[in-house]
Amino acid sequence: MSAREQILASIRAARERRAQVDHPGRFGAWRPEPAPSPLHGFETMFTQAGGEVVHVSSSAQRDTWLREFLSGFDELSLGVGVPAEVAGLGPTPVPHGSEHTAPAGVAVARAAVAETGSLMMDARDGRRAQLLPPILVVLVDATTVHATLADALGAVRADLPAAIGLHSGPSKSADIGQVMVKGVHGPGRVIAVVAQAGLGAYRHASERPSERE
Amino acid sequence: MSGNSSTFRPASYREASARTLRDTPEVRDSVGSATRTFDALRTKAYAEVDSDRWRDWAQDVKAHALTHLDEYLEQAEQSLVANGAHVHWASSADDVHRLLEAIVVEHEVRTVVKAKSMLSEELEVNAHLDTLGVRSVETDLGEYIIQLLGEPPSHIVGPAIHRSLEDCRALFHEELGTPMDADPDELAAAARAALRGDFLAADLGISGGNFVAADTGTIALIENEGNIRLTTSVPRIHVALVGIEKIVPRFEDLAGFLQLTARAATGQPIGLFVSLIQGPRRADEVDGPEEVHVVFVDNGRTALYEDDTAWEALRCVRCGACLNICPVYRQTGGHAYGWTYSGPIGAIIAPGLLGLDRALPLPHASSLCGACVDVCPVRIPIPELLVHWRERTVEEGRNSVGERLAMRSYAELAERPSAFSTAGEALRWTPWRAVGKALPVLSGWMQEREAPTPSPKSFRDLWREGIE
Repeated sequence: MSAREQILASIRAARERRAQVDHPGRFGAWRPEPAPSPLHGFETMFTQAGGEVVHVSSSAQRDTWLREFLSGFDELSLGVGVPAEVAGLGPTPVPHGSEHTAPAGVAVARAAVAETGSLMMDARDGRRAQLLPPILVVLVDATTVHATLADALGAVRADLPAAIGLHSGPSKSADIGQVMVKGVHGPGRVIAVVAQAGLGAYRHASERPSERE
Repeated sequence: MSGNSSTFRPASYREASARTLRDTPEVRDSVGSATRTFDALRTKAYAEVDSDRWRDWAQDVKAHALTHLDEYLEQAEQSLVANGAHVHWASSADDVHRLLEAIVVEHEVRTVVKAKSMLSEELEVNAHLDTLGVRSVETDLGEYIIQLLGEPPSHIVGPAIHRSLEDCRALFHEELGTPMDADPDELAAAARAALRGDFLAADLGISGGNFVAADTGTIALIENEGNIRLTTSVPRIHVALVGIEKIVPRFEDLAGFLQLTARAATGQPIGLFVSLIQGPRRADEVDGPEEVHVVFVDNGRTALYEDDTAWEALRCVRCGACLNICPVYRQTGGHAYGWTYSGPIGAIIAPGLLGLDRALPLPHASSLCGACVDVCPVRIPIPELLVHWRERTVEEGRNSVGERLAMRSYAELAERPSAFSTAGEALRWTPWRAVGKALPVLSGWMQEREAPTPSPKSFRDLWREGIE
């Protein structure tokens, strides 16, 4: 008998003796309606975990902020979904595969979550670009901030890439003598640039074919 | 670097715990401080939400999944295969070793980066990779520290909590050349720099899995450092070792488990990095592993599942909350327990996974105070299961000759009223200070305590005279 058959047969034999338990339904179904401003919730939770939030209400404001912030770096890694007009604001981007050499990067969040203060990062934006630069700027469309994690997971489940990352602040560890340090492996500084509703620049790469290679 | 595992020896618990307390008293300070911090953070994090409802919900989802486990495992397999992943089933550590060997040989793997996985510790993966001539590098900072030290983990969430900042300074000075007075940020930066090269050079990344959602075939992983995201994203091949009990039915169920596990483990609303992995890199993605292998591992779990009482332990999400609050674990940390899973949860899953004979005396490493069940996010009745294994020990005649003799003598006495009365009278006149110190068990108790003065009259005499 194969390991698979052995395992399943043992489970089936013992399962006969177990009282069946029903699935209790959706997590959080018992809770009242969440607060009306998920964006505020996201900002509170994300900054509590050490993340930074910048609000921009026009493309000009966004570009000004990015141009100034990125001028401090000589190289940049870029997520695939970063709009072309934004990609040109900073220094020369490194090619895909060389993200580890860039001192900073820009990526795009597919969505965000208020309940946990999380940025939802889609593999189609490029996983190295989300993880290797020590400083990461993440563009977030304010209309994609979900109130709860269950809402966010429900919204993306029909279109899942190979991997999704939920990033809820800078990388941290207390493994060295129980002292908290930042930036252990993932980015040590994460800045969410939240574009107000209506700016609408940050659709996913798959929805904007051949905009940028 | 060689594997950090050693042969599991729970049988030496008594000697090992005594040795820890006697020879390395600083371990108790480090472990006590870390666990009290974890526990205080958990208390606060539970209070911020309706944690009783959350825990009821999580208990029910896990119980539902476990009572339909065969169906959900098959569904998870179908979903993963549809996503392009390879699914393997392993009955034992040997099965896992053979599978890894095949992957290593086929892809000419030289370096493996590892994300913290207690299952991989349980399966002694590093030692096996070592025999294949493959260099395995633990990338979680805590695991990296204990790998350099050649030690097993001392805690399932914080594997190096028994080591102080001074220990780490000395270790990193020797291994990475950092100054002896380096601050934690400098030490972490040195480890990051050393490990960054390994991430980029490794052919294979090995992770565990906190949860598997059956409907979408999603492996969910929780962490704070980003090393798990890197381990599962950068190398060409990713192998996820997952215990068969890690299944949850639905992708949306992860919303509850990711949050509850983080609150129970470290008091965070969620791990700073969560990976939700469906399979290998797709055509429209610029990076990610070309091959993903998911291994469903039994290694004693079906034996635990077959036990009509102890199977409830399979709900465990490995948060470590029961370790953090346990007054027994806090004294020694995890090494005394002699295998991967320590503390209360270790004591109730060891007999299932290792067999009762190899797991003794771990079910006795508890005062049955019940603090663990109060904090467990999936409400595992840990004290009941500890007693269950103690009962099984007696039923199988595995308890000590002394204990059996004492119990039998007491039973004989209790069944004979006159003998019982005579014995009671004799005990009242026994010089306890002297006698107690000469007897086993009692002498230990009396080291720190004064024996109470017995009542001049027996309970039965008082009853006859009309007790007030």
